[in-house]
This record gives sequence, structure tokens and C-alpha cells, in this order.
Amino acid sequence: MAQVPVQTIHRDPQLFYWILIPITVVMILTGVLRHYATVLMATAPKKQELPAIKEQRSLLRGVNLRANANVISAPSFQARKDYLVAAYESGAFLKEPDKKGQAAPNPMTDPAAMEGMMGMMKGNMAMIVPQTLIMGWINAFFSGFVIIRLPFPLTIKFKSMLQAGVATKDMDPQWMSSISWYVLCIFGLQSVFNYLLGSDNAASQMQQQMGQMGPGAGAQMFGPGVDPDKQFQAEIENLNVLAHHYTLEGVEDRLLQTVVV
Amino acid sequence: MASSLLHPPAHLSPAVALQLSQQAPYLLRTTPSAISPYSMSSLWSAAESPELWTTYENLMLSCLRTGDEQSAHLCLERLTERFGADNERLMALRGLFQEAIANDNDALKKVLKEYENILVEDPANMPVSKRRIALLISMDRTTEAITALNNFLDASPTDAEAWSELSDLYVSSGMFPQAIFALEEVLLVTPNAWNIHARLGEVLYMASSSETGSVQHLAESMRRFCRSIELCDDYLRGYYGLKMTTTKLLTTLSQSQVSRQSKSDTGLPLPGVKSVERLSELATAKLSEIVRRNTGGDAGWQGYEKPEIIAAQELLNRDAAPITR
Repeated sequence: MAQVPVQTIHRDPQLFYWILIPITVVMILTGVLRHYATVLMATAPKKQELPAIKEQRSLLRGVNLRANANVISAPSFQARKDYLVAAYESGAFLKEPDKKGQAAPNPMTDPAAMEGMMGMMKGNMAMIVPQTLIMGWINAFFSGFVIIRLPFPLTIKFKSMLQAGVATKDMDPQWMSSISWYVLCIFGLQSVFNYLLGSDNAASQMQQQMGQMGPGAGAQMFGPGVDPDKQFQAEIENLNVLAHHYTLEGVEDRLLQTVVV
Repeated sequence: MASSLLHPPAHLSPAVALQLSQQAPYLLRTTPSAISPYSMSSLWSAAESPELWTTYENLMLSCLRTGDEQSAHLCLERLTERFGADNERLMALRGLFQEAIANDNDALKKVLKEYENILVEDPANMPVSKRRIALLISMDRTTEAITALNNFLDASPTDAEAWSELSDLYVSSGMFPQAIFALEEVLLVTPNAWNIHARLGEVLYMASSSETGSVQHLAESMRRFCRSIELCDDYLRGYYGLKMTTTKLLTTLSQSQVSRQSKSDTGLPLPGVKSVERLSELATAKLSEIVRRNTGGDAGWQGYEKPEIIAAQELLNRDAAPITR
């Protein structure tokens, strides 16, 4: 069994100082810069008007009543249900009662929704612009360099990941090209940013991408493009089919059974 | 020490509040006065934390409670420096400060006027409208406060704090059905709050003692206390209420043979005399156990308030007196 000779490539040690360190430093500085740019560009959350608050909380009241109906007595529950159902039906809680029955406005034309999209756009821009610039910069100056040899062996599958931009078939996957170092920096600098900027920073690109994939589920309930009237109608349905069991029924017997002095 | 500064100070005992406010000058000297979010120094200094500002807010409230207005003002200034004067919460805090330093009724009226001006500009300012209601209550203008609270709850019907405040106001004006309604709303938001269950039991008991009261209210009150005990073992207030209600219920049930078949307005039949008797015995036994163990210094039984224990002792003595005589 022939021993595979260890590949050696004679590199100029200057490569290390003039490629590896500059890429790392630039990546960190861009992250810090992006964090502060995002902080500066962020708009304060828009204040809600009183009718909007009323609309949301009245719906929540119905949800609460449905979820916790059992703590109040049957007549109390019936009275609240009748009141809420009548008010939901007439649209008394709606932000704009005269618009009841109309189709939900197109979220693209709704100025309130545009606000949210602008925020998302800004976040995207802060991510895409520097990424493009740095990628171009690295491609222009550093493409094709093998800069570092990882101190541990790797399988052949890592070749495409670690040797982007260097199309050499026989080179050991331990060798790493400059573009791959850049990609590794994108993924690996999170903890550095955590150390520098605190844990809720906006520096990491990865975090931003994660945020876009799973937007908060809570925002969906009152988000733009949702017709509150439809939600009220659905809540009427829910309240009407609810079976009410009073918790206090038989509580004295339960207590006598469980408590021993 | 610092941990008690992170909790809302309303529940602190006077001694702890005093201790906190005595530390205020030291704390104010050592904590950073302002953290600029864009400076270079933020790269190596500790990051700004929400706890810092919570500390300031609670410290200010403790200082106002104990009359250290200088430190309170300093806290307020630092908060204003950080969040700006038009922050809703700060507007309410500044109002609170002005209320505290006001020394006569005219000054309070001026603060009230200020609140109203803010609310005309921005009716959705929740902290300030709550402050306005609190000020109305402290100025003994109960009817106005009730109206204001009703308007507030019309816009924000899921606010448990406001509902319970409203129920207190209704109780103080003797309007028990309304108070019961408000407390039921609180329970709809926080279904397992045993103290609210007990409070509702107390209000129902008061309602049953008023002229329009009925034995149904009394039965419902007893069941509320049962529920509060079910949710919180060894709950002194619950057992106290249970004993009060069962005693009264026993006399009522034996005096007037209330037709058991009559459909009560709670939808539940009246409890049987037998189970009421057993509940009364249970409450008596539990209360005496709590009193015995607390005064005996048992570990794990020391969490009760001193006045509560004395009241329970007194209730037990009231029972025992006819026998010893």
C-alpha cells in the first residue's frame, strides 16, 4: 500500500499578510458598519391610532372569552356572548365602520403596509450592497490564490466548497482559496460580532436571511391585507359553537375530596 | 439588592422601599448616566441593557415613595436624556413626579389639565390616560374616574389592570353588580389568578349582604373561595372567606327553607347543607392549622402576613367564645 505523499505547495508568505488578514479585517469592519447603518436607518414603529387599538383588542376580548369562558357563570357568559356577537355583526368595533363589507384593500397600495415593506427593503439593501461590493473586490484582486492549508484532513466533497475559483483537479481539499475564505467569514463571524456589538446586532448576513425566512407569526394576525371584518365573523362562529362548562360546578365536592387536614 | 430594583416597586414593603431609596445617591453615582449608541467606546464598554433603564424607573418610584425628590428628579432627567421627552411612558412618569411634588389641590389640578392637553393631542397615549384616571381617583372624583375608566376600557377591553381598578371603584360606590362584572372580565384575561377569584368571592359576599343580595350570591361567593383554594393550597384569604361564607350560608339555609328547586341566576343549584357543614369544618380546621404552625414558627409556614394571621386568630376566637363562656 503506497503512502500518498503529502502535497506541498510553496506559497509566498506574503500571501498570508496581504490576502488572508485584509479579507478578515474588511469582513469584520463591514459587519460593524452594517450594524450601525441598520440602526440609523431603522424607523421607529408607527404609533397606532385609538380605533386601530380598539379593533385589535376587541377581537382579543372575544378570543379571551372563548378561551376562558369556563371561569364565569353561564348567564354572565351568555350576556357577554350576546353583546360581542351583536357588536361584531354590526361592525361596531371596526376601525372604519362604513367600510364594512368591502373587500380588503390591496396591501401594495396600503400606505401602512408600504411602511413595513420599506423596512424590509432597507434591510435587504444593507445586506446586498456590501455583499456585492466585497465579492467584486475579492474577485478582482484575489481570485485564484490558494492562501491557507487547513490543519486537518478533509474528504473530497469539500473541494467545491473550499476551493472555489481554483480549478485544479488533483489538489488536496485541505487547501483553501481566497473566495472560500470569504464565504467562511460570512458564516463564521457571528460570534465575533456578538462579542463586539452585543447579541442582538444586525451585522450578520446569516441572521438577516433567517429573519426573512420565518417572519414572526404574531404579526400575521393583524398584518396588512387581513380583513378585520372577516376575523370578527370567524370569531362569531367560534363563540356560537362553544359549549360552556362552569368551573365552579361541583368545586366544593372536589375540594372536600382533595384537601385533607 | 439590584434584583429587587428590577421588579415593579408597588409590592415592596415600606422598609425595602426606604432601603432602596437610601441607596439611590450611591447607585446614581456608580451607574453610567448616559450611553450613547453611536460612540466608539461602545465597542469595548458593556452593552446597554434594558435592566439599566428599568432600574432607573423603579428607583425613581421608590424615591418618590420615600420623599427623596432630588434623586427622583435625577432619575427622570437621565431617562429623558435617553428616550426623549415625547416618549409615552416618560410623559406618564414626569406627570407622576409632578403629582408627587404638588403640595396643594391647585397644583394637582394643573397636572390634570396637562394630562388632558396631552390626551387631546394623542388620545391613544395609554400611560398618560391611566395616570389621569389615577389622579382623578386620588382627588376623590370617583364618578369622573369611573367615566374615564369606562372610556378607556371601551378602547382597550383586554386591560386587566383597568378592569380591576374599575371594580374597586364600583365597590366603593356600592354598585356590586357592576363590580362583579368588572372582576369577571379580569378573570377572563387571567383565568387562574386565585387572588382575583378570592376578591370576586369577597365582592359577592358584600353583594349578598346588601339589601338586594340573595342567597345565590352567597353560594356563588362560597364556590369562588373554594376555587381560589383549589388553585392555591393553604391560601389563608380563601379559607377565611370560606369560613365566613359557610357560617352565613348555614344560618340562611336553616332559617328560610329556600326552595332548592328554584333556578338560581348562576345556573347552579344551591349546595346541600351537609357539604356546607363539612366545608365549614374544613375551613376552621385549616385556619387553626395555619395559625398554629405560623405562630409555632414551622419552616415553610412563615409566608403569611402578620395582620392576616391576627385576623384569622380573631375569627377562630369568635367561634370559640360561646363555648368557653
